[in-house]
Parts: sequence; structure tokens; C-alpha cells
Amino acid sequence: MIKVSNLSFSYGKGTPLLSGINLEFDQRSTAIIGQNGAGKTTFVKLLKGLLKADEGEVTIQDRDIKTETAAELAKTIGLVFQNPNDQIFKRSVLDEVMFGPLNIKLDKARAREYAFQALKMVELDDKLESNPHDLSLSEKKLLCIASIVAMDPDIIILDEPTIAQDHSGKEKIRQIIKTLKDRNKLVMTIIHDMDFVAENFERTIVFNEGRVLLDGDTRQVFSQKEMLEKANVEPPGITQLAEKLGFKDTILTVEEFINMK
Amino acid sequence: MKSISLYEERASFVHDVDPITKLWYILFAILIPIILPSFTISFLFVGISLVLLLAAQVIRKTIPVFGFVFLILITVVIIQGMFKPENETVLFQIGPLTMYKEGLLYALTITLRVINIIGAFMILILTTKPSDLVESLVRKGMSPRIGYVISSVFQIIPEMMSSMGTIMDAQRARGMETEGNLLVRIKAFLPLLGPVVLGSLINTKERAMALEVRGFNSQVPKTYLYEEKKYRYSRALQIAMLLLTVTALAWRIFL
Repeated sequence: MIKVSNLSFSYGKGTPLLSGINLEFDQRSTAIIGQNGAGKTTFVKLLKGLLKADEGEVTIQDRDIKTETAAELAKTIGLVFQNPNDQIFKRSVLDEVMFGPLNIKLDKARAREYAFQALKMVELDDKLESNPHDLSLSEKKLLCIASIVAMDPDIIILDEPTIAQDHSGKEKIRQIIKTLKDRNKLVMTIIHDMDFVAENFERTIVFNEGRVLLDGDTRQVFSQKEMLEKANVEPPGITQLAEKLGFKDTILTVEEFINMK
Repeated sequence: MKSISLYEERASFVHDVDPITKLWYILFAILIPIILPSFTISFLFVGISLVLLLAAQVIRKTIPVFGFVFLILITVVIIQGMFKPENETVLFQIGPLTMYKEGLLYALTITLRVINIIGAFMILILTTKPSDLVESLVRKGMSPRIGYVISSVFQIIPEMMSSMGTIMDAQRARGMETEGNLLVRIKAFLPLLGPVVLGSLINTKERAMALEVRGFNSQVPKTYLYEEKKYRYSRALQIAMLLLTVTALAWRIFL
């Protein structure tokens, strides 16, 4: 779905923030993890066309994105930013979600229909006329996810989706990711919540100092304790507990832990 | 975040001089050529400022500023040289255009004064951290509130610029074209205003509350975050500048 070859990027003339990145993305839901400053956000901005690579190439669905603007790519790849306050432009929840579909030239009726479906998915369909700025931070985050889902792109990237979410908010996001996966969307995330990664993502990529340190099935990645330490990443709590109790297999969820006993 | 301050970190004695003495120098460099309006004095002060800028290793940074100022000064030279009402002595002619001595001398006076003022200010701006300047002024009795307002401008403007960049990225991510001709850019700019202004208002409110809970309005004497910048010869420099100004005044009045 996405092919990244020998990608390098630097801000200005400084040291490259990303160098020699080679990755291929298929349908598997993918988490990108790593400490702050590892280059995760820069990498997804390059995928989204918001930044242009110094070297290398990114192809999405066999199209080289170099010649396309971020706006043109919006039909194919959606990015939900970390801070919802930076991406709310309209005065009602419905208008906010329709903003994207209308930009990619969907007619008003279809834009409304897609917006309504997306709002239903995030359970904000009872707040169509509310002012987005009156929503709680958690609801704003869900609204931003709906704004991207309504554009129906094949690839959706969520930047820190679990920030400001309580247990029920995380449950909603879990459900949203599952629904999107069922619809054959490639869901990617940048995230620091390792428990959430272990429970919801099939593939995990670890970035460290602008390079890919680890890439593989989530279980396999979380079994590489020393490599994770190098990237200053801690495995999920349950994985660490199981390891300390002497379990041989890498445990990712509480259910797995219980079943192992 | 990109800073809007023009301060350049260098190791030079000009950087070591405290901000108040640099403020004195600005006043001194402006006053003396006014009190003693001769070309020699004006050239002398322009020379001193340029030497100080060279010693501070920041002369390169002044090129764009002086370049812009020269652009404006050229128009002054042309207008005064050709159209000043007192123009009498023809200096040279280019086709139908005549340049007069009186106008050109007047334009030279203005040019020297402007370069002198800009040079003196550049010494302060390029070699002094805004926070050091504000703190020095607060130590000298300026209200901490005004001090905060000045220093917060240096934080808020870059923050707003960075948030504008993020908001524009968010718009592009949702299919809004922001690249292209002027019309496309204007169309993209208008929806930016809402979130930027609203975001700034929210930030201002939160900033005010954060200041309040940290005792900003407390009436007890305040301590300072940074150590006071002191220069060994500050007092001597200030006294020398004061004496020279008084001497210049006396010269002008009595001689």
C-alpha cells in the first residue's frame, strides 16, 4: 500500500532527522513508537505530503507522492493531528466534519451522509449542532478522528489518539480502529501508550534517532527487550510482569496472561 | 521554535556591556549629532557604531537592515536633491534632471542621522538578549507588568507563527489547497484566522491564570530569574557619556 525507499529528511541544513528509511506498509494496523524526537511525526508528515523528502521516494498505491500536494493526497491518506485545537475550523460539529469531504469535492448530500456516518462511529451524532469548541478535549479528539474518517481515505494515521482519553474514550478509539480495519483501511498510529499498542496493533515499528530500529509483529517487537531499552521504550506493563514471573512467551494482553496461568 | 529576537550569541566585550549602558549609548549617539550638527561629528558616530558592531562580530546581521534603510534613503536623496525649495547651486545634470548642492547636503544630513540611529539601535538589539534588557529595566524601576508584556511578545509571536503552521498543515491534511496562486493562498488564509485568534485568546487566558497562581500580582518585592548583568566599566562609560553630552551642550551654547 505504501512503499518508502531510502527516505532522508532534515529541517534546514542541519543533521538529517530521518535517514535511510526503507519500509513497506500492507493492510496490517501499524503502531510507530519511539522516544520524543525520534522522527515519528516527521515521518508521517512525509507520508502525508506535508513535508518533502530530501532524498528517497514514497509511493502510495503505486503513485509517487513527490508530485502531489498534501491536499491532493487527502483523498488517499488522512492524518489526525495530536492537538485537536489546531484542527477545528467550523462553528458546528457537523460543519466541521463536512469541511474535509467538501474540500475533496464530494457533493453536499454525500458529504453530509459521510459526515453523519463518521459522527455516529465516534458517538457524537447527538451533537451535530454543538460548537466544537464547547466539547471536552476527549470529544474534540474524537471529532477530529471523525473529520478524517468522513473523507473515506484508504490510509488513516492517528497521532497520539489516546491522549486525554479516559477508559471509555480508549474503548471508543479501540472500536473505531477495529471498524476501520474491518473496512480494509490501513490504520497507523504514533503513540506512547504501549498497552494500547499491544492490544490493538498487529505491527510495530520502533524509531530511534531518525532510523528504524525494530520492525515486525507487535509480539516479536516487544520481545526484544534490549533493543527497546536502546530506544528508551518500555514494553507494556503486562509484558514486563509476565517476563519477571518467568513466562517464556511474550505476553501482550491481560487475557493472554490469565490464559497462560 | 523560531525566535523573533535578532540577538546573536557571540563572545565580545560589546556583549558583556550591560543593557542600560547600551541604552545610554543610543541616547548619546542620537543627542550629540543633534547638539553639534556637523558632518564630522555625524561621521564620527557612524564610525564608532560600525566599529562596535564589527567588534561584536554582528556586522553581517546588519546588512539586510542597512540595505532596507538605504533603499528608503535613496528616495530621500533624489527628492531633496532635486526638489528642496532652497535649492540654488546646480551640482550636475542627468538629462532633464538637475541635482542641487543644498538638497544633497540636506539629504546627507538626514542619511547620516538615520544610519547613526539605526547603528546605535543595532548594537543594542544584536548584542542583548530581550530578557536581559527587560530585566535590567525592571531593576531600574519599570513595572514588572510592562516588563512581562514586552518579554511575552517575544514568546507569543513565535508561538502564533508555529501554531499557524500546524493549523495550515491540518487544513492541507483535510484537502484544503494552500499552495498555488494568490487567490488560493488568500482563500486558505481566511479560515486560519479563527483557530489562530481563538487559540491565542485561550492561551492568553491560561497564561494569565498560570501567572496568577504563581503569585505574579503579589505585592512583596520580587526576586529575579537571572543574575544581574554587570560590566566592570559601566559606571565609567555612563559618566563619560554624560560629561561629553554636557560638554557638547556647553560648546553649543557658549562657543
